[in-house]
Amino acid sequence: MILEVRVFAGLEKQIPGARYGQPVEVDAPDGSSVHDLLRILNISEELVFAVLINGVHAKKEDTLKPGDRVSFFPPVGGG
Amino acid sequence: MVKVLRINMTNREIKSEELPEKYALLGGRALTSQIVSDEVPATSDPLGPFNKLVIAPGLLSGTSAPSSGRLSVGAKSPLTGGIKESNAGGITSQKLASLGIKALILEGQPEGNDWYGIKITSDGAEMFSAQDLAGKGTYEVTSLCRDRYGAKVAVITIGPAGEMRLLAAGVTNNDTEGNSSRYAGRGGLGAVMGSKKVKVIVVDSPSFNAPVKDAEKFKEAAKKFSKILMDHPVTGTGLPAYGTNVLMNIINEAGTLPTRNFRYGRFDGAAGVSGEKLAEVAVARGGKATHACHPGCVMRCSNIYPMPNGKVCAPVEYETAWGFGPNLLIADLDQVAMLNYICNDVGLDTIETGCALGVLMEAGVISFGDGKAAIEMLEEVGRGTALGRILGSGSVVAGKTYGVTRVPAVKGQGIPAYDPRSCKGNGVTYATSPMGADHTAGYAVTANILSVGGQVNPLLPEGQVDLSRNLQIATAAVDSTGLCLFVAFAVLDNPEGLPAIVDMLNAQYGLALSVDDVVKLGQQVLRVERRFNSEAGFTRADDRLPEFFQTEDLPPHNTRFDVSEADLDSVFNF
Repeated sequence: MILEVRVFAGLEKQIPGARYGQPVEVDAPDGSSVHDLLRILNISEELVFAVLINGVHAKKEDTLKPGDRVSFFPPVGGG
Repeated sequence: MVKVLRINMTNREIKSEELPEKYALLGGRALTSQIVSDEVPATSDPLGPFNKLVIAPGLLSGTSAPSSGRLSVGAKSPLTGGIKESNAGGITSQKLASLGIKALILEGQPEGNDWYGIKITSDGAEMFSAQDLAGKGTYEVTSLCRDRYGAKVAVITIGPAGEMRLLAAGVTNNDTEGNSSRYAGRGGLGAVMGSKKVKVIVVDSPSFNAPVKDAEKFKEAAKKFSKILMDHPVTGTGLPAYGTNVLMNIINEAGTLPTRNFRYGRFDGAAGVSGEKLAEVAVARGGKATHACHPGCVMRCSNIYPMPNGKVCAPVEYETAWGFGPNLLIADLDQVAMLNYICNDVGLDTIETGCALGVLMEAGVISFGDGKAAIEMLEEVGRGTALGRILGSGSVVAGKTYGVTRVPAVKGQGIPAYDPRSCKGNGVTYATSPMGADHTAGYAVTANILSVGGQVNPLLPEGQVDLSRNLQIATAAVDSTGLCLFVAFAVLDNPEGLPAIVDMLNAQYGLALSVDDVVKLGQQVLRVERRFNSEAGFTRADDRLPEFFQTEDLPPHNTRFDVSEADLDSVFNF
């Protein structure tokens, strides 16, 4: 299945050629979880503080669906 | 001796008064709100002689407590008509506290059109003519005062917007480098200072001389608190790396980034005005992606952004980048920085000005996305044209002038950078805070979006009232300590955080406060503020969001604000 992945705030350095905010298309096996996706992307789990799937907070064990917009963030805050 | 400096502008007398015993345990917001409540008639005209501008350092300001240099500025707000505390960084708070000054009270009103300055040192305070500074922008005023009185002085000032008593005018002070960009921006307090005919207050003092009763215990507690901040992922890692504007992308991804005057929750151009982009450009141009707004801050969430015209905007914060970026469909960070710089110089709150520009674009006065036109219109404020004065008077005045009902404001104050339909906890805070729409007053973005202090689904009404209530109480207490509100990210997650703050307060003042006492302080502040607003004529009807948030879906989640009125009315049931 094809997923639309975005990485931010330094995580883009983990994916060669990636830019923050620009979608990276990833072909992942059907039924993949967020854990699996991070393995495919070769991003270390401890760098990822928040995961959003289609704009909603998700857990790393959650299963992904084709076409999901997945966003990864390190710790961020402000206001 | 700790004291209050009372500056009477009617007869131009300055008195140093002993701090009344009843104010001994108050500081920052707790003190400004209490003094305003005690001394300003709630029904008085905010720009008349009976209003007072109160400036107070926090309880811990001027000590070695990390990130404790926040300044509170309070008065009856000409923007909201209610009580106001507006909170700023910069170097003034520590200097006032180091002089033993718990509060400055500007009261009365002089006759005539002359402008005045006040200089405060360890030898006392004196008034001088500021005729030569009148009409000048805040950057020039600050630079001139540093030339005249020394490069280390703190300069509190207003721009031409404050002199014109425009409702979105703020009160600014400077950082260590002399940038006059650390604003008590919200609520039009610059207009109150302008109504007193005070252009500038110069404070000359060391920064870390505040008296501490038990220095050893204090040092131990401050060290512990510093470690708590450094160990938390947001305060120790996230904020120091990219600053507050790192929020742009996560708020966009979460679908709660108000776009095109609160019509959409996502903006395609968000990454182009985000903290990541800012860091990239700032560093490439010789600026800084991280910077402390006052000495002793360990989070260093500020930045230094060099602009193409050779000037420097320091900092560009998230709320500002949002207000002039996605809110106006502007995706060019240099245009955002320029709008920010002009606001700093002319003396306007960037959030209110962003909201007002959004409303004026809604009205078709200029087009969404037209950054050049926005800059030209903002330049009119300093020239005092009719349109410039409308823009400088905030979102509600802009809406009324042009017949626009889509005005994002509560109690007259523009709504900041999180849409209340998909960050409903902040919606509760906007609706109910005595300050009007204020994101910092109960920053539910923590549990709604950032996974800090637990998790509450931002799209559902459940749990938002409890979340907002607890945060509003905690914030009122933190705003009284002089600690930066961002310490809350760590304190919410670490059970040792609040006890460490209490240990610092106890060591400094020789007290035996408990954690419960700090919670009670927060509740007391809110009660005082609510009572003032009630006496000023506010009712339940003022604790509501604008209608369109309940009738229009916000993409991408297609949600509306649906926290019930009964629930909103239960926020202050303590």
